[in-house]
Amino acid sequence: MLAGGRLLLGFRKWYYNACGFNKLGLMRDDTIYEDHDVKEAIHRLPERVYNDRMFRIKRALDLSMKQQILPKNQWTKFEEDVHYLDPYLKEVIRERKEREEWQKK
Amino acid sequence: MLPRSDTSALRCLLFSFFFEVYPILLKVCLNFLLRRLRSLSVQLALIVTFHPFQVTKLSSGLVIASLENYSPASRIGVLVRAGSRYETMDSLGVTHLLRLASGLTTKGASAFRICRGIEAVGGSLGVTTTRETMLYTVDCLRDHIDTIMEYLINVTTAPEFRPWELSELTPRVKVDNAIASQSPQIDVLENLHAAAYKNALSNSLYCPDYMVGKITTDQMHTFVQNNFTSGRMALVGLGVDHAILKQVGEQFLNIRSGTGTAGSKAVYHGGELRNQTGDSLVHAVVVAESAAASSAEATAFSVLQHVLGTGPRVKRGSGSTSKLEQAISKATVQPFDASAFNSSYSDSGLFGVYTISQADATGDVIKAAVGQVGDIAQGNLAASDLSRAKTQLKAEYLMSIENSENLLEAIGTQALTEGTYHSLEAITQKIDADPTAVAKKFMSGKKSMAASGHLVTTPFLDEI
Repeated sequence: MLAGGRLLLGFRKWYYNACGFNKLGLMRDDTIYEDHDVKEAIHRLPERVYNDRMFRIKRALDLSMKQQILPKNQWTKFEEDVHYLDPYLKEVIRERKEREEWQKK
Repeated sequence: MLPRSDTSALRCLLFSFFFEVYPILLKVCLNFLLRRLRSLSVQLALIVTFHPFQVTKLSSGLVIASLENYSPASRIGVLVRAGSRYETMDSLGVTHLLRLASGLTTKGASAFRICRGIEAVGGSLGVTTTRETMLYTVDCLRDHIDTIMEYLINVTTAPEFRPWELSELTPRVKVDNAIASQSPQIDVLENLHAAAYKNALSNSLYCPDYMVGKITTDQMHTFVQNNFTSGRMALVGLGVDHAILKQVGEQFLNIRSGTGTAGSKAVYHGGELRNQTGDSLVHAVVVAESAAASSAEATAFSVLQHVLGTGPRVKRGSGSTSKLEQAISKATVQPFDASAFNSSYSDSGLFGVYTISQADATGDVIKAAVGQVGDIAQGNLAASDLSRAKTQLKAEYLMSIENSENLLEAIGTQALTEGTYHSLEAITQKIDADPTAVAKKFMSGKKSMAASGHLVTTPFLDEI
C-alpha cells in the first residue's frame, strides 16, 4: 500500500496531466467509451450538463483537427474535473443488474 | 346365539343391546353433542371478537377503514384528496401525468421492480382520478399483502419523478387525450365543467394540449408535497386485518403530515361552451348548480334524477318509465336519448339534463327536456313515479356496492370526506326526499350548457 495520502494524490495529479486530455479542455467523463450503459446515462443528463459536454467535445475535435492545444491557462485542472456522469452511470448499471437478477429467477 | 325360549330371546336381545349397541349409541350421541358444543363455542368466540367493519382516525389525520369479507383476495386502496381541482393555473395537467406515473421509480423500488414484483404475486395496481380524489388500488391474494403494500406505500409517498421517465410518459398522455377527443361525452362534460365553474372544478381531468410534455419534475413534486399529506388521505382495505392497516398507516403514511394546501372553494359561474364539429348527433347538457354531496338536498337531486330517468333499465327496452323520454317523444319522432345528469362534489354540484339527438331536432329535444323538469317543479309528479324513483335509486346504490371495486371506492370516499362509514340501512333510509323543491331550484338557478355536434338548431342558453 502506497504510504501517505499526499503521495497518492501527487501521483494522481501527475497521471491526470500526463493523460493529456485536459490540454484539449476535456473532462474525464467526456472521454469515457460510449458503450450501451454510458449511452443511456448520457441520455439522462440534464440539459445544461449535456450542452456543456457537447461544447467541450466539439472544441476538442476542432483543436485536434487543427493539431493545436489550448493555452495553458485554459487547461482543465485536476481539482476542477467533475465526474458528472458517475451518478447516472451507477444508476443505469444498478438497473441493468436488477433486470438481470430478475431474469435469472 | 343359539335360539332359546321367548323370554330368553328377549334377554339375549337386551343383553346384546347393553353390551354392544349401547356403547356405540353412546359414542354417537357424545360425538354429536361435542360437535354442537364446539361449534357453539366457536360461534361465541366469533361474536366476541368479530368486527367486520372498523374505522380508525389517527392523530395525523389519516383515516383507516377496513371491511373483513373473508374473501381469499384482498383489495387495498389509498385515497388522497388530490384531484384535478387542486391543480394550480401554472401546472394544469399535473394530475393526468400523476395518474400515468404510478408505475415510475420510487425511493424504495425501481419502476422495473414495481412492475415485476406486483406481477410476481399476481396482483395489480391501478389509479383512478376524479375531480376531487385520487384513488390508488392494489389487489392480490391475502397471503401476499405485505409485498404489495410495500409497493403501494412507495408509490403514494415516495415517488421520484425522474425527468427521463416523465418524458417517456408524454406519448401516453397524447394517447389518452386522443381517446378522450374521440368521445363526445367526455368532450361535452369537460367543456361543461370549464364553462360552469370559474376555478377548481373547472380544471379538466385531461392534460391541456399546451402542457403536454412540459410538466416538470418540480411541478410534480410540489403537487405531491402540497396535496399528499396524511390529513387528506384515507387507507381502506377489503379482506384485510384492521390491525395490519393501522400499523402501516402509523408507520409509513405519516411522511407528510398536516392538511397541505387548502384548495380554493369552487365558484359557480354559469356559462356555455359550444363545440361545432359537424357531427350529425348532437350531445348537449344543460345544468344548474345543485348541492354539495353531504347536504340534504343532494339526495333529493338523486331522486329527481331517477324520476326523470337515467337510461333504459331493460336491455334494448323502451325506457318508457322515464319522464324525460315521455316528454321528448311528444316533441319529436326522431331517435334521441336523454337522461338526467347529476354530479355532486364536496362543496358544489351540477344537476341537469343530458340529451343526444339528431342535429335538426336538437332545439325541440332540449326545450322539451327542460320543460319536463319545469313540469315536475310545479308539482306534477305522480306518487307512483316518485316511489319508483326512490326504489330505483336504492337498488342502484345497493347493486353498485356488490362489486368490490365500487365498494372500496364508496367506503373510501365516505372515510375521506366524513371520517366514518354509514351503514347501508342508514343510507337507504336517507333516500326519502321530495324532489319538487330541488326541481324548482334547477328551474330558477343560473344555467350552464355545453354542446357538441352540428349545432345548427341547438339553442343558446338564453333561448331555452
